[in-house]
Amino acid sequence: MSAFVNALDQEPWRFIISLLAIIFLTLNVAAVLTFAERKVAGYIQLRYGPNRVGPRGVLQPMADVLKLFTKENLSPGRADVWVFLAAPIAMFIPAAVIWMVVPFAPKAVVTNLNIGLLFVVSTTSIGALGVVMAGYGSRSNFSLLGALRGAAQMISYEVPLILSLLGVIILTGSLSLVNVVNNQAGGFWHWYIWSQLPMFATFYIAGIAEVKRIPFDLPEGESEIVGGFMIEYSGMTWALIQASEFASMGLMSAITTTLFLGGWQPPFDFLDFGNFNWIWFGLKTAIIMFTFQWIRWSVPRLRMDQLMDFGWKFLVPLSLVWLFVTAAGTLIIH
Amino acid sequence: MLQEERRHRTETITLSGRESERLSRPDIRDEFGLETMDMNMGPQHPSMHGLLRLILELDGETVVRCDPVMGYLHRCQEKIAENRMYPSVIPLTDRLDYFANMHNEHGYCLAVEDLMDIEIPPRAEYIRVLMCELMRLASHIPSVGFLLLELGAFTPILYGFRERERIQNIFEAVTGARMMFHYIRIGGVKADLPEDMPEKIWNYVEDLEKTFKRDFIDLIEGNEIFISRTRGVGKMSQEKAVEMGLTGPPLRCTGVDFDVRRDYPYSIYPELDFDVVTDEAGDVEASYRVRIKECYQSIRIIKQVLEKMPEGAVMADLGRRLRPPEGEGFGRVEGPRGEFAVHVVSDGSDIPYRVHYRDPSFVNMQLLQEIVPGHYLPDIMPIMGLVDPVSGGWDK
Repeated sequence: MSAFVNALDQEPWRFIISLLAIIFLTLNVAAVLTFAERKVAGYIQLRYGPNRVGPRGVLQPMADVLKLFTKENLSPGRADVWVFLAAPIAMFIPAAVIWMVVPFAPKAVVTNLNIGLLFVVSTTSIGALGVVMAGYGSRSNFSLLGALRGAAQMISYEVPLILSLLGVIILTGSLSLVNVVNNQAGGFWHWYIWSQLPMFATFYIAGIAEVKRIPFDLPEGESEIVGGFMIEYSGMTWALIQASEFASMGLMSAITTTLFLGGWQPPFDFLDFGNFNWIWFGLKTAIIMFTFQWIRWSVPRLRMDQLMDFGWKFLVPLSLVWLFVTAAGTLIIH
Repeated sequence: MLQEERRHRTETITLSGRESERLSRPDIRDEFGLETMDMNMGPQHPSMHGLLRLILELDGETVVRCDPVMGYLHRCQEKIAENRMYPSVIPLTDRLDYFANMHNEHGYCLAVEDLMDIEIPPRAEYIRVLMCELMRLASHIPSVGFLLLELGAFTPILYGFRERERIQNIFEAVTGARMMFHYIRIGGVKADLPEDMPEKIWNYVEDLEKTFKRDFIDLIEGNEIFISRTRGVGKMSQEKAVEMGLTGPPLRCTGVDFDVRRDYPYSIYPELDFDVVTDEAGDVEASYRVRIKECYQSIRIIKQVLEKMPEGAVMADLGRRLRPPEGEGFGRVEGPRGEFAVHVVSDGSDIPYRVHYRDPSFVNMQLLQEIVPGHYLPDIMPIMGLVDPVSGGWDK
């Protein structure tokens, strides 16, 4: 048995298993989140949400996927077909591969990349490319507006997102996410959220903008540009875009948890479950996801100019100031 | 800068042998050689309040030109009315502005009663006003919800519709229908209120008065994003508003103190004590405030009506067949969206010679063409929320 396990831990098998696990995880996170989103929305809005397919509607994602599989994949006559069809893939892959560097439990990480954070931020940027491809390839006025908004928004909010990571990097002295989590050991007061509260806020807000959710869902803007960059998609291509949106939302929660909420670290040392610490990781991630959904169903959408003002005039200065404070503090203590 | 000269640029084309004019698309490029983009918003667009089409010319995200195109829901209401007997027109008026059915019925009945000089029983007047004010609540609360829906917040509309649902339950108990009532008749109302209804309505408005702030207003007001999306958006001056012939909340939010209920009193409104709500700002936020405050005024009116309601008949004795004398009748009421007026011309027969409706949605819609250019594209939605047109109203 242990020989078998050891064989699985060797190279080609380890790689293949990790790959399958990541794809499985991404799709499942997306499926669970679509269901959770609608259920949370239902309870916020005085209704039940989906409750027909399976007990309490839990099989709704399966029904949705089945429906989307049977739908025709339309592409507009004037569309640039290759760009149009490649866009959902360009959106989905970044949302899937980043899970590789996220530590779920003490030993459960696909690869302990020593430039993990750099990998995260550089791969997230590719998502913006997918949005532009989708909007531009559709050749529709609405999707073009969505693509331009998406590009402007995601590139602008990348700046505060990366700046807010720098504080954690200074405190850890490493770009590896595993080291970031290990440095937060020893109870919840060691988590970076306390010393890096403004950075946490910046990262959280910029994260919402990065995954294009209300109040920053301008590329979609369903009441203005009716879905924006994804207006022309149908069937499985649309499902892929949705899956990547939800997967990247899950991802953003997971990275927020890892960086600021101690990852899989338990809040108290006596609650340490060893390899089962993924429970803590899952719990914290779920709470962050829930707050995303809570915000999504409570507030209106910003306008483009206000979004830019907020990003450049508030979030960037805030994170720069706290970066200075962190750097100076670290210098004084050492 | 180029707006003015662009808007009126037309070209002459020959269509089936006849010359006609149409708006031309001038090839004007700015100093960078960039063109504007034409965009067709609607009629199948989620926030076009039904079937409105806006032809937009966009310079980036800034709207340069906005032409509303109506007519996708035209049902020849006025022509059909010319072929029906007087009482049979009332169900048609329900289909005009389907968020203000009671006001439509009331306006039409006032016009015919003006034509025939009918005195209606006092209890019927009280019931009419009671129903109209409930209708105003059932229209204003979802209106505010629609405004938020268009700004991207999905939740308030469902809380608004909960209140509307409760009011519709009252309507169902009183009239037998939830939307198309056919309740206000020429000479009175169809039936008296059910016995327990005054108490039920009283309890409902008491409850609404208590919970409205907690359940609905607190969800919206004070939200930084709501304020930044609505304050200063769609701003217009008093002169402009009067010039465009606006009525209702879009007019009152600019500070013009005009309300048909007070200035051209009808029914029992002179006996009731209520304030005409105005606001100075004249933007979307002001129209929101006006609507919310008018809800409280409606509650106040409903309470007075319930307290003062006399006993007696609810229908005047008019005989079996209405045959008004030759002449004209005019009725105007203050609907939730503004002044709804009906002009009825009679040639002495039992069907009207001509019926004309002046619907506030149609008139207030002019605002789009005037106000929208210069705003950003996403600002069209709150401005639509300011006008709050209903497609059954602008297309008769």
